[in-house]
Amino acid sequence: MPSSDTGSLRYQLSGDALVVAPGIYDALSALIASQAGFGALYLSGASIAYTRYGSPDIGLLGMTEVAETLTAICDRVATPVIVDGDTGFGNALNVIRTVRTFERCGAAAIQLEDQAMPKRCGHLAGKTLVPAAEMAGKVKAAVDARKCEDFLIVARTDAIAVEGYAAALDRAGLYLEAGADVLFVEAPRDRGEMDGIVARFGDKVPLLANMVEGGRTPLLDAAALQAIGYRLAIFPGGTVRALSRLLAEYYGSLREHGGTGPFLDRMNLFDGLNEIIGTPGYLARGRQYDGSNFGGDA
Amino acid sequence: MAEDNPAALRPKDRRRRLRAMVEERRALLVPGAANALTARVIEDAGFDALYVTGAGLANTLLGVPDIGLVTLTELVQTVEAIGEISSLPMVVDIDTGFGNAINTRRTVRLLERAGACGLQLEDQVFPKKCGHFDGKGVIPVGEMVSKVKAAVDSRDDENLLIMARTDARAIEGMDAAIERAQRYIEAGADLTFVEAPVSVEEMRTITRSLAVPQVANMVVGGRTPLLPQAELAEIGFALVLYANTPLQAAMRAMSEVLGALRRDGGLDAVRDRLADFGERQRLVDKATYDALEKRYAVE
Repeated sequence: MPSSDTGSLRYQLSGDALVVAPGIYDALSALIASQAGFGALYLSGASIAYTRYGSPDIGLLGMTEVAETLTAICDRVATPVIVDGDTGFGNALNVIRTVRTFERCGAAAIQLEDQAMPKRCGHLAGKTLVPAAEMAGKVKAAVDARKCEDFLIVARTDAIAVEGYAAALDRAGLYLEAGADVLFVEAPRDRGEMDGIVARFGDKVPLLANMVEGGRTPLLDAAALQAIGYRLAIFPGGTVRALSRLLAEYYGSLREHGGTGPFLDRMNLFDGLNEIIGTPGYLARGRQYDGSNFGGDA
Repeated sequence: MAEDNPAALRPKDRRRRLRAMVEERRALLVPGAANALTARVIEDAGFDALYVTGAGLANTLLGVPDIGLVTLTELVQTVEAIGEISSLPMVVDIDTGFGNAINTRRTVRLLERAGACGLQLEDQVFPKKCGHFDGKGVIPVGEMVSKVKAAVDSRDDENLLIMARTDARAIEGMDAAIERAQRYIEAGADLTFVEAPVSVEEMRTITRSLAVPQVANMVVGGRTPLLPQAELAEIGFALVLYANTPLQAAMRAMSEVLGALRRDGGLDAVRDRLADFGERQRLVDKATYDALEKRYAVE
């Protein structure tokens, strides 16, 4: 039975408002994004590759590494997390293990794509695909493997850049028949292609739009994407693109001035960061059990 | 052991030792371990090297067949745990390298750091299958050549042996398999491993045709004749893998003992088949940890 939990991703996608899911890459970014009020979060494989390994999104990340990151995030925030499952890390049998693992880790949805292993970022050149029937089998495997139908299967096709627009829509149709809960046609090249995707599938299944700053798809805001007919918009890489700029500025300032004074007005001070992390709450909980160690009088 | 001879644990020394043993081509017996306990038993029994088995890891860690479900992270963690307690050189099964040449590079670097002394890379399609299963596929030879090159280029220690395995015998035939092995040697492989020859004659063809040290894989119930060490040495093999013998023995022993427990409601009939408490603590080297506890005891 689908849950009637109003916070669930399935419930949110059944409403009229577009769900915006910003990219996260660890529990701190998840915490800050959820404090900003987003109803869903997107754990991007690319962002884990960028932040944890300083490496590009070329399929080096393993399933266990994503699962560890996902577990830490879901342990800290209650906001539904859409996890990037890439290719499912192999064939249909690997998809089964990946789906079961990520669902157990606490994700609300997994995104699976039809690229050949090892995958690469959807907006990079040189992608190759698995045959459509193979991907349909992987989507079916994912649907069969989940324990709860509130765990959503997002099927992504990368076919526009490889086989063309019409083939991409046909693939999306097959994945829908295979049981996908959300369709994600990656990297439409203009507004017309976006409209075409919505015209074909908009009344059948929630559609996901991927906003990549500097990618191949027009960069639109939530209102515009909702007007086109999308139900879910992800901004996966924006987080690290913003963060990387900020870090360069911070390090540049520290290096130049030999201190953090000139940057202070752009920083959370000691108490400010502890507030975000929830330190006072942790200490209060500690006092309930052991006043002597947590500064209380229990 | 580590206390007595700390140098024996240094990966560089272990790699030098393994290379020397491989070059002797005397059919070194290499049993497989999928966990640190098995590695302890192998060392205790007096073997000179061990093999970290991907199939064994799938079977024991995940309880699934060898079909490519084990992740690189899980393999690295296993190798780290084994390297921590064993002084034996470890040959590690890295399957397909977990992807293409670039994935192979990452795999080699992580496993070298984890303490591997030899890496076995195979030319199957990802995700792989056990070499003795039906329905294997192999990647084009050029692609595997690139992966072997990537593996060779990625190691820091030139004594980290790159063993290139071809699964082509079952798919493209013996001549093609030998031809592939030859290409992998040209790409820099230190050893080759032509998987699943089906006769002694084919085994001889392998060692006769290929210049570098060769690996034989003894799989009970597999496709290759099971031969004694002396005969394998005479044929000219350098390493002989008994990748899953310890696991197969343990499976049978567990089934029989547990069957008796279930049947009798007690252990009387099988007590002599169990390691007793002292034996168990000896194998996990409790004495070393007792001594450490004493050394760091708070007065």
